[in-house]
Amino acid sequence: MGISDTKTLAEFVADVVEQNGAERSKLAAILHEVQREYNYLPEQALRDIAVLMEIPMTDVYGVATFYTSFSLVPKGRHIVTVCMGTACHVRNSRGILDEICRFLGISPGETTEDMAFSLETVNCLGACAMGPIMVVDGKYFGEMTGTRVGRILKKYQKDEVAEVPEAKRLTSSSELDEYREAIKPQRYAGTTSVCVCAGTGCQASGGADVLEAMRLELKSVGLEDKVMLRGTGCHGFCERGPLVVVGPDNILYQKVTPEDVPAVVSETVMNGRVVDSLVYEDPVTGKKFEHKDDVPFYAKQKRQILGPNGMLDPYEIDDYIASGGYAALSRALYDMEPEGIIEEVDKAGLRGRGGGGFPAANKWRACRKARSVDGVKYVLCNADEGDPGAFMDRCLLEGNPHSVIEGMIIGAIAIGATHGYVYVRNEYPLAVRSISNAIRQAEEKGLLGKDILGSGFDFTVSVSRGSGAFVSGESTALMASIEGKVGEPREKYIHTAVRGLYVRPTNLNNVETWANVPLIINEGAEKFASVGTENSKGTKIFSLVGKITNTGLVEVPMGITLREIVYDIGGGIPNGKAFKAVQTGGPSGGCLPESLLDTPVDFDRLTEVGSMMGSGGLIVMDEDTCMVDVARYFLEFLCDESCGKCTPCREGLKHMAEIVVDVTEGRATMDQLSLLEELAEVVRDTSLCGLGQTAPNPVLSTVKYFAEEYREHVESRKCRAGVCRALVTYEIDAEACTGCLRCLKACPSKAISGEKKMAHTIDTSLCEKCGICLEECEFDAVVRK
Amino acid sequence: MNVLIDGQNVPVEQGWTVLDTARYYGIEIPTLCYMDGLSPYSACRLCVVEVVKRGRSKLVASCSCPVEDGMEVVTKSQRVMKARRMIIELMLATTPNSRTLQCLASEFGVTKVRFKGEDRRCILCGLCVRICDEQMTGGAIGFARRGVEREVSMPFHKTPEACRECGACLYVCPVCELPCPGTLEPGELCNACLDSVRLDPFPSRD
Repeated sequence: MGISDTKTLAEFVADVVEQNGAERSKLAAILHEVQREYNYLPEQALRDIAVLMEIPMTDVYGVATFYTSFSLVPKGRHIVTVCMGTACHVRNSRGILDEICRFLGISPGETTEDMAFSLETVNCLGACAMGPIMVVDGKYFGEMTGTRVGRILKKYQKDEVAEVPEAKRLTSSSELDEYREAIKPQRYAGTTSVCVCAGTGCQASGGADVLEAMRLELKSVGLEDKVMLRGTGCHGFCERGPLVVVGPDNILYQKVTPEDVPAVVSETVMNGRVVDSLVYEDPVTGKKFEHKDDVPFYAKQKRQILGPNGMLDPYEIDDYIASGGYAALSRALYDMEPEGIIEEVDKAGLRGRGGGGFPAANKWRACRKARSVDGVKYVLCNADEGDPGAFMDRCLLEGNPHSVIEGMIIGAIAIGATHGYVYVRNEYPLAVRSISNAIRQAEEKGLLGKDILGSGFDFTVSVSRGSGAFVSGESTALMASIEGKVGEPREKYIHTAVRGLYVRPTNLNNVETWANVPLIINEGAEKFASVGTENSKGTKIFSLVGKITNTGLVEVPMGITLREIVYDIGGGIPNGKAFKAVQTGGPSGGCLPESLLDTPVDFDRLTEVGSMMGSGGLIVMDEDTCMVDVARYFLEFLCDESCGKCTPCREGLKHMAEIVVDVTEGRATMDQLSLLEELAEVVRDTSLCGLGQTAPNPVLSTVKYFAEEYREHVESRKCRAGVCRALVTYEIDAEACTGCLRCLKACPSKAISGEKKMAHTIDTSLCEKCGICLEECEFDAVVRK
Repeated sequence: MNVLIDGQNVPVEQGWTVLDTARYYGIEIPTLCYMDGLSPYSACRLCVVEVVKRGRSKLVASCSCPVEDGMEVVTKSQRVMKARRMIIELMLATTPNSRTLQCLASEFGVTKVRFKGEDRRCILCGLCVRICDEQMTGGAIGFARRGVEREVSMPFHKTPEACRECGACLYVCPVCELPCPGTLEPGELCNACLDSVRLDPFPSRD
């Protein structure tokens, strides 16, 4: 809080407004800075901002209250955030949240009296593979259990925790092709390299410590100049993180700890021997795999977009250039006409990876044709990856930001755009840092900005940070948000390609779509289109999460079946449980049962069966997942995230959620179930934007494929998965109980009584059904019914 | 330019909305968040009509949907009426004593509110916000928060200087008039004029 000690609030606000400029589009950025400095938005600060920026106070207030990143009340010294994403939800994030509430004595959104902790929830942090996730002051704690909550938070109560140091990197510049040749030998000349995954998933399991230990170890043996050490983007296999890959042979080490680092350096780096204890072992066959490409998780994938992630240092443009980066840009500028670029993308059959699957070339063509009053057109990148359980876009931005930028520049050439924005969620601080750094480096190299590569073509890119609103991923809401307004959708009778951002022709594509563009230009449409099905070409990245053995990011050719993804790549369901459903398409998608597992990954086929491709979340659910609870989860998510503009979405979703809550709590009637379906149809039919129109999908698909479970909840008041708390009871099996006192001590509501070495009992009137006793018991004596 | 509206082929002008067309030719479409002189907001969804394009039909908000040559519009299909009834029912759950809504309920044959009610006395149509901003150049009130918590509000719930107390917001509000005289308890529907006003031309068949 260095600045505010010496500056008054008014001076601070004035400085921030001056530094950012008083244009309306800077409002969110300015509010973020004030929030960061003061931990909340003081009323006087908002009033000053309104005056300085000449914006009506109601508008500033509207924006400040619309987005969840802003708070109008002071926050505590430590911010505890619990991820409520789908993947975390199916792994019991609600139980974790309850436990934190109990420990701190506050509800989500509140601050403890001593101003030490504020508790918040977030609708997905994109670290799904490590779920359930708790974050304290930006530090991720993965695979949380109820019992770990107290242990971690007690440390923060004593303010014992040191900050994790950040890695520092370098930059340089020269002519593109010569430069590439010049830097290639330094970067990829068969020299030994060590790539440590620094993606958010691995950071949650301690990747940053491994990277730092590796740096120190290499230095201590005098190899720091001979071995290329890279902190790379996400390798995808988050389940086994932190991951380390040692080149040139690409030996994959998994679950590496800082203590393992000396062995890796002395054995593998210095002597080329494999450290047997760190290589991946197939949990079923027991077979060991030394080389990354042989590991079954990777072997079945086609990683043409994600592949470079594990080999590039995202903070070094040289890595990208040396591996052939920006060659497609050079081709697009000098060897192709704008129409030719669109033609190529058309022939490649590239469809939008953000969820809708709209042909990219059609959008580009419409935007190219559209007339702009002053010649200004925009190219936008949608990185507001709000779908809970999806984190592909985050990984691309964090791991390979230049591929996205290169794609955007090529798109801008094709469309004739002059300016671009990357709209990134505020929940992805690493992605914001990585893309901002990449833009700066590309500008320094003359690959972005004025007169790109001496061609006379100008194009600039800015980063616009979201502020915590799922609906801002909708195209018109996203544009309103960039303009500094409330992220509210509007009717799209006139397409955004004609009238979009600032009423100018605007083309919006998602991160993954942009990352595909350089590949198409480099390899040609034909080669690109050779992968996939008739109407879905290329590959699709999925975040494979939930109840699955190998969680992580996978990139598969279109046309592969869901079964292959779940079983061959994902390794099936862990702990011998039975598969129940797979959810695709996030809150707009649906849950597909076992009988539809042979559905191929294809835009049209997935829509036909009542789900959708979506942006790529693929959440696996097992017999312990209650499908009514899943529907409830999505409805509550959507109620939270609806902007509230139109009646059916705002009111309809609220009442749908009410009915589903009644079902999970055993109060519903069959009449209410039919009302639920009737309402769902009207919400789908009449909502203003895509959020509302697709919002009923999770309900409609679960009602369709898991009708039995709904009926059980209503008629026999039973939840077969044991998830719906109102419908389950916990008991102790007196025969199995050894009287070890463990559950008794752990029970937060003191509902368990008993003597040592005597069978314990649970007082059901006191039991809050948190399940901690079940988690603690080592003798399977606690039974959930 | 021509459109086919409820079976009649009629000439229309460039720039008209479907609602303009319907009103010009005397076809009634109910609206709540629309008002002549204010920008269309497309939020209440009561004015939805069915538009048929290339054999596929879709509900659109007539207040903002521009007409296109050859467009086919159905203003009172089963699907439209079902949607309108549900929207009226949803609104009555939050604003039970509005006379306007009670009358709409009678007009469309809504006889029961099946949802849990909560009297918020506001349907968030935004007419007040728009008249303050667009016609009175006040900008004194606006929307705050989002989703179910959305409300029409003054910043920090204090009357701002920008408010001249002109009363335009009260004047345009469709739900803050005197309550319907037929209603006794919140959540009850009066339906007193159910059969005496206009009859629903497409009574529910389900």
